[in-house]
Amino acid sequence: MSSLLDKARLMMNIHCLGRNLVTASSSLHHVQLPGQKEAHFWYVLPDEIKDTNLLNQYFEILSPSEKENVFRMSGEQLKKRAILARALVRTTLARYQTNCQIDPKALRFKKNSYGKPEVDWQYTEDWSLPQLHFNLSHTSSLIACGVTVGSPIGIDVEEKQRRLKNDVLAFARRYFSPDEIEMLTQIADPELRRLELIKLWTLKEAYVKAVGKGFSNSPFNTFTVRLGHRTKTGIHLRPRVMSKAQEITVEPPDESKNVSGNWQFVLLELDGSHYAAICIEQESTNRGKGSIPVNLKLRKTIPFVEDECILGTEKAVVISGLTTLLECE
Amino acid sequence: MASFTATSISIISLAKPSLVPSARISSPNSVSLSIKGRRFPSITLQPTGRRFQVTCAILKHVLHGGCFAVHLWFMLMKFDITKQETVQKVCDIVKKQLALPEGSSVTGESKFAALGADSLDTVEIVMGLEEEFGISVEEESAQSITTVQEAADMIDKLLESKTD
Repeated sequence: MSSLLDKARLMMNIHCLGRNLVTASSSLHHVQLPGQKEAHFWYVLPDEIKDTNLLNQYFEILSPSEKENVFRMSGEQLKKRAILARALVRTTLARYQTNCQIDPKALRFKKNSYGKPEVDWQYTEDWSLPQLHFNLSHTSSLIACGVTVGSPIGIDVEEKQRRLKNDVLAFARRYFSPDEIEMLTQIADPELRRLELIKLWTLKEAYVKAVGKGFSNSPFNTFTVRLGHRTKTGIHLRPRVMSKAQEITVEPPDESKNVSGNWQFVLLELDGSHYAAICIEQESTNRGKGSIPVNLKLRKTIPFVEDECILGTEKAVVISGLTTLLECE
Repeated sequence: MASFTATSISIISLAKPSLVPSARISSPNSVSLSIKGRRFPSITLQPTGRRFQVTCAILKHVLHGGCFAVHLWFMLMKFDITKQETVQKVCDIVKKQLALPEGSSVTGESKFAALGADSLDTVEIVMGLEEEFGISVEEESAQSITTVQEAADMIDKLLESKTD
């Protein structure tokens, strides 16, 4: 195992010797890879980015097909959003090169057999560790990218203020599981009910995206997400913010069915305006030991300009899910 | 043979080309026919269910100076404007769901994502379509339609299987 890692490092070093380019990527702050049970969550606020030169810089790192896709979007706002989304993914992943610069433009992507986007390491010009997983989500006012090593990840963000065109319960009856409908029906206040629906929606989306087999394989009404009411205090003595939040669980309504995988969730409130759900797969060796919190590094970014580590201020509140917010380096 | 488009219909006479008749569809429900300037009464079409057929009589017209008859054959014409209607209704529902400004261009080719729809919008659009057309969309399809045309095709298929 260690000789494999050594080989990998040697390969990277050899490869890096030839690269002495001062590219745009040199202003990307490099970060350490997420460890096990660790997820990184990067987000950008489109309204903060108004500089057209910067947007052009972002546009330039996109692939030809991504550029075409940008042009297909209707209207300036949607075009900007599309540029930022792809630029966020590319610049974020490019930061994880530890020994040399990786050009965000050099990354290639492909889709798995169910259509989930992933990095195509085979065609990446720079040799890299192939264990990086990512997932992207965007609303008009926030675009986010989650990153893990060795575990599938799904994320979803939604504006808290999001209004449904349909009645909340009618919507839930159409799409959610019986237990979830029951839970929502018991909430008397319509506004609280709507907020709860949005939370459930983001968690369910994050789950299906983490599973990565497409929505048709996991229709929303076939599984239940529960924001549990147990309060668990963190057992790990990492400094910084400890979440006393409840554990979030997912279950199939039919108890006799096996849950595929063992999934862990975190639900955040960002900037007071968005819900963000993160779902990663828990190590099988940890099952039965009680849940170990997900380590989470939260960063707000303007790629090529600045990064900000978010640590349990009003900017990010953990609503639910066992998690530890870590300091970024 | 007759060919049909949304706004015009042309019928090729089987006889003298100078007697090519012209038929105009002035509205989805009526057809008017004229031959050499002579207008025949319009035929009003009664829709039966979601399709309607027009059967026109065979007309014989004897021209002065000649003993030839022009037989005009009108054949059964199946008007398939229902598919156009479906696409239009889908466009309207999409525009409403996404709160698109007046005058936004939404057509059959429009991709939901390109109009700014996310997955929540898409399922709300499906709910709107189910209500509008009285259909029920399978879970598997609900989140997998990506364009207006795909939605319209799915609706038409569901409607057809309903009437069969």
